[in-house]
Amino acid sequence: MAALLELHDLGVTYRTAAGPVPAVRGVDLTLGAGDTLGVAGESGSGKSTVALSVLRLLPRSATVTGRILLEGEDVRTMRWGRLRAVRWSSAAVVFQGAMHALNPVRRVGEQIAEPLRLHAPPGTARAAMPDSRLRARVADLLAAVGLPETRARAYPHELSGGQRQRVMIAMALACEPRLILADEPTTALDVLVQAQVLNLLRGLVAERGIGLMLISHDLSVLAATCARVAVMYRGEVAEHGPAADVMRRPRHPHTRALAAAFPTVGDPESRYAPATATALPPEPPGRGTREEPAVLAARGLRVRFRDRAGGEVAAVDGVDLDLRRDEIVALVGQSGSGKTTLARTLLALQRPSAGSVLFRGDPVPRSGTALRAYRRQVQLVLQDPAAALNPRHTVYEAVAEGPRIHRLPGDERSRVVAALEAAELRPAAEFLSRLPHELSGGQRQRVVIAGALALEPSVLVADEPVASLDASVRGEILALLLRLRREIGLAALVITHDLGLAWNIADRVAVMYRGRLVEEGAVEKVLLDPQHEYTRELLAAAAVPGTGEPAERGV
Amino acid sequence: MWQRRRSAAVRVWREFTRDRGGLVSLGVLGAVVLLAVLAPVLTDPAGLDVTRADGLPLRPPTWEYPLGTDVDGRSVLLLTLWGTRVSLLVGFAATVLSVLIGTVVGIAAAHLGGWVAAALLRFTDFFLALPSLVLAIALSSVLPRGSATIVLAIAVTSWPATARLVRAQALTVEGRPYIERAKALGGGHLHLVGRHVLPAVLPLVLANTTLVVGNSIIAESTLAFLGLGDPNAVSWGSMLQTALSSGAVSAGAWWYLLPPGLAIVVIVLSFTLVGRALETVLNPRLKGDRD
Amino acid sequence: MTTSVDTAGPAGAGTRRAGTSTLRFLAGKVGAAAVSLAFVVVLGFLLFRMIPGDPVATMTRDRPTSPEQLARLRERLGVDEPMVRQFLDYAGGLLRGDLGTSYIYNRPVSAMIGERLWPTILLVGTATLLAAALGLWLGVRAAWRRGSTFDRAQTGIALTLWSVPQFWLGLLLLTATQGLFPSRGMRSPDIPPDLLGQALDVAHHLVLPCVTLLAVTYAQYMLVMRSSLLEEMGAEYLTTARAKGLRDDLVRARHAVPNALLPTVTLVFLQFGMVVSGTVTVETVFSWPGLGLLTYEALRGPDLPLLQGLFVVLAGAVILMNLVAEVLYRVLDPRVRAS
Repeated sequence: MAALLELHDLGVTYRTAAGPVPAVRGVDLTLGAGDTLGVAGESGSGKSTVALSVLRLLPRSATVTGRILLEGEDVRTMRWGRLRAVRWSSAAVVFQGAMHALNPVRRVGEQIAEPLRLHAPPGTARAAMPDSRLRARVADLLAAVGLPETRARAYPHELSGGQRQRVMIAMALACEPRLILADEPTTALDVLVQAQVLNLLRGLVAERGIGLMLISHDLSVLAATCARVAVMYRGEVAEHGPAADVMRRPRHPHTRALAAAFPTVGDPESRYAPATATALPPEPPGRGTREEPAVLAARGLRVRFRDRAGGEVAAVDGVDLDLRRDEIVALVGQSGSGKTTLARTLLALQRPSAGSVLFRGDPVPRSGTALRAYRRQVQLVLQDPAAALNPRHTVYEAVAEGPRIHRLPGDERSRVVAALEAAELRPAAEFLSRLPHELSGGQRQRVVIAGALALEPSVLVADEPVASLDASVRGEILALLLRLRREIGLAALVITHDLGLAWNIADRVAVMYRGRLVEEGAVEKVLLDPQHEYTRELLAAAAVPGTGEPAERGV
Repeated sequence: MWQRRRSAAVRVWREFTRDRGGLVSLGVLGAVVLLAVLAPVLTDPAGLDVTRADGLPLRPPTWEYPLGTDVDGRSVLLLTLWGTRVSLLVGFAATVLSVLIGTVVGIAAAHLGGWVAAALLRFTDFFLALPSLVLAIALSSVLPRGSATIVLAIAVTSWPATARLVRAQALTVEGRPYIERAKALGGGHLHLVGRHVLPAVLPLVLANTTLVVGNSIIAESTLAFLGLGDPNAVSWGSMLQTALSSGAVSAGAWWYLLPPGLAIVVIVLSFTLVGRALETVLNPRLKGDRD
Repeated sequence: MTTSVDTAGPAGAGTRRAGTSTLRFLAGKVGAAAVSLAFVVVLGFLLFRMIPGDPVATMTRDRPTSPEQLARLRERLGVDEPMVRQFLDYAGGLLRGDLGTSYIYNRPVSAMIGERLWPTILLVGTATLLAAALGLWLGVRAAWRRGSTFDRAQTGIALTLWSVPQFWLGLLLLTATQGLFPSRGMRSPDIPPDLLGQALDVAHHLVLPCVTLLAVTYAQYMLVMRSSLLEEMGAEYLTTARAKGLRDDLVRARHAVPNALLPTVTLVFLQFGMVVSGTVTVETVFSWPGLGLLTYEALRGPDLPLLQGLFVVLAGAVILMNLVAEVLYRVLDPRVRAS
């Protein structure tokens, strides 16, 4: 019997204004019934292009070569009618970001039913599916993904991210396909919801004997869900084998970088050791011998917002937090837990409803020159460096912006160069006149950090500083933060949803849940011996789903 | 620094020239402006004086009068040429005023928060909803007759569209993280608006300005057609008004009707096409949308 | 695991609150429209009573008037009263439906507007309906075949029409079709006795003004529909629809077009002010006995009380139409309903 899906020497080239750009080259992959294959890779590695090519969903500018055999039949040579019949009934897709992949103005029940109407089961006439049976089928599908029947009447925006992704899965199952292609199905979701969705997908696939091709940038997601993993790099399959082998003994350097990017909590080898190519400076001598006063502190901080219905929501609900010199504190929690609001309040970008922020023991001023002076001391690094830099300003202008605002004395150019060097953009002169779009993601984040360092601050608040960066760059940026702490004693508050990051560089960790800090203490204590239920859930979700144990992964 | 600015300008120009309609329109506009400026040099304004007109009334085109004559025996060609001056001048002046008000209000509504922004927005929406021609008619009928009144009437009725556009664009800039970063660096209102918001909004304002010029010229001709223009100046609108009120239209004097109307269409269409071409080049959201 | 957290989404609470939130929405919008109407009333007073300084002098500037006549006029308009008193009289009159008395015709303004209302509604209604149908249809076709000859030709025509002054287009049609259609008014002097004959006669008169008004309006609708659909066509849910095996024309008909239609349909109502502006010139050119022609007649004077009444009524109509647009958008688009 033929395999469910066979890709032979698949190649995809995009025609662009700048000439043809090969996105995928010489990819050979096979997937049998009930088989699970993970495709890993960074953005631009061609992994999504592979998935879309299976159902010929690529834009017209794409040229496909090689063979794509779906149940033995070449998709490339199919007639339109045959192709439409095959779409969704033989292979269905779970798209990334269900908010956009669902039609925003139609009820989700109708959208699940749409392929059912389109692909009547063999042997029945098209009209043979009466509305009552259609409704029952939609209810069954929703039940299979753990949603109540009533949700069929909801519009996509009325559902949470996890629910929308469940709807996408229900929709994919509608015509009982033998193959499901899932393209980053959990990327935009929270850690806890991500684990739920993955569990659901894995369960359904195993139960129904469906072949699954799962695409993700996160190797640990694939290792937890798939039997085999293929790692793509620059349009080619760099490594391919059983998931456990690829994770334990990565052969390709790129796989190694990917694996190291998501360290295991509890693994002593990755403690204070983010994946970096250059050695870290040693710990300054005498550290931790004396108790330092807090540089930045929050006392009973509360921030309330008014919601649409007119009620009040406490985004930050009574937080006490200390940040000392020469210390990195990780603030972890799900999105919506209030951690970004807390950071903005610490930076005086948001007014607290109650409580206070203290800088070196004094309350932070709310306006005027005193506020400006405070802002020189406490600097912000944002999640997406592409957005945090004005696209029209050169690297020089971006870094010099702070010194100009504060009219710092001395030579501006030497200050900018020094800041860039400190942020490890060397040689700095080469970057001065570049625009943000001419830089890579990691370089952009270094420019943002250099812009902060140019003011010689004493505190750095970094909001998800590596979340939008590719795995291989992640370790380098984290290493930079750790180096700055060790070399100049910078205090840093790093906001993250990623416990591995905390394990990599932080000294202390504070866990935030619904506006409160539910647990706080040294990294080893909190992450290895969690006291609060919520911290345990976070740790469980970060581990391999289902086993409840941290994934076994070597570096 | 300067070199980068220049290379950016060169890139915009190169992309602009790819739009053939926009390029041709720019050429047409250049020629028309030149003609309007040179009108006193090329022609004798004495021919505009009714008492000194020497042609026969309402004659179709001849060699002597290539576009025929009007009811007073004046050359339609001469009238159309001189009408260009009034129409363009009023159109440009009204545009400058309108875009200025619109940009200031739009940026203020986007940048300032709280009740000031809410009030400005409310105010803008109110003026946007008013039927502009009716308001312009009202203004020009109660103010002293003249070109200044027309300019004011057009500007007062056309700024809200610019304000809405500028506000929308400024809001997307205000939402960008780099504004948050600039705030965290300690930048005040002037710094934020001057260094980040205004430079990001200006290209769109420029593209929008060319569209506003077109609308202003139509508005000018409409008000003049309704008899609200400067009674002593010849404009395209006032020519058409005379054509209708003097019975030239019912007499089938097409040569009196076509030149001023076609002039308006050509000018306005040119401004529109230049504006659209500029918008495609300068508005990153539209990139690749039109090919 | 915390499955319960996930499934108890915002929808349950949303449906329960839907009723009261709709009421709050309606109250807010009606309130805003009322404030706008109040602005119009104040603006009407400012424009026609305060800016002219001496309204009587403005009205009589182009004709010789004896001092006695002037005095009588001043008394009738009450321009010598204190401003506050004048405003209260004006606002009170408005509340009673009294828009003052026309200076030229010496008749109540409200009665004159009432007579001229129906011809305008007939003209504007017909033109808007046809323009919307034509504009939306052409816009969809042009966007779906973007870059084709059809698209380029239609966009070119629309842009050209958009650049044409409406009154000139009217004059042009008048000269070009001389004799084919009646050039003035709404009815022939020799009115046919039967109802059908009368209707046909009005329809015959309606053709030219309607075509003139339609030409510019449809162009606007078409351009907006086209760009709205083009924007929608990049949406990812269309890829989902294609992946489901839908034919391309069904992807368009079921997903892309309905979603793109929402903003465009609302625009038809929002652009009502533009149509009102158009009627002034078109009715002037064709002597169509509606509010537009009345405006033209009033500004000849200038008959300030009549202009004031027309301004308040026309601006009020536009505000009402905008209110309809906002309510309609909420009914049509579930996304707006939520926020």
